[in-house]
Amino acid sequence: MSVSADPSASTSSLISGPVTLVVPAVAAMVRVGRLTASSVASIADLSIDDIDDIKIAVSEMITLLIQSDNRSSITLRFEVDAQSFTVEASTPSSALDLGRNDVALATAVLDAVSDRHEVAHVDDRILMKMVKTISPRPES
Amino acid sequence: MEEIGKNESIRVWIDADGAVVAVGDIDLAGGPLLDTAILRLEGSTPVVIDLEAVEFIDSSGLRSLLAASRRADARGTTVVLRKPSAGVLRLLSITGTTEQFQFEGVAP
Repeated sequence: MSVSADPSASTSSLISGPVTLVVPAVAAMVRVGRLTASSVASIADLSIDDIDDIKIAVSEMITLLIQSDNRSSITLRFEVDAQSFTVEASTPSSALDLGRNDVALATAVLDAVSDRHEVAHVDDRILMKMVKTISPRPES
Repeated sequence: MEEIGKNESIRVWIDADGAVVAVGDIDLAGGPLLDTAILRLEGSTPVVIDLEAVEFIDSSGLRSLLAASRRADARGTTVVLRKPSAGVLRLLSITGTTEQFQFEGVAP
């Protein structure tokens, strides 16, 4: 497992550059990805409700990739700006094949907890992306 | 109490009243332990699953609950969710699956 942050990439007021996490494609890593997402979102000062939604979305994305029958590693990339929190999850694959997943149920959940999500086959990887618009925080 | 098992996501046991108790996260890693406990109890009576201490659930965990509900329906009985946490109730709501279960300990 590895974690990195790219200080040269886009910035928000609290996090400079995306955070990248690479984990083995095994069930135990779903929790690792979820807790990392939660930590990054918390540092970015998102609301509890937004963080809960992001945790669910990340869990769904990692689970879909683990069960895609292309088990090797999963790369997660978290990026935050003033308006949105974006998560990309990808795994090496020769085709866009989500294998033995119940995609309909996972998609219904992703629909509910994200503002936008998509899946594509790019550069021999299955790439999933979700965007969560950050809810305005009440002024203190 | 009968300990069913625990891993990095969840701990599951069967309490003295014969209810399945799950503590932690019901996800891809936690779901199989919950399945084991539910299958241990399935008979002619309703299966009661205590979800008060479930901190997280995703569609993997929901699949375990829905499968139990389908099997219970085939036997002419039900699955009762006892004191489901807010996260459980939310996932049931957004997936439109609330009606698949009976509930105990939920404020009307």
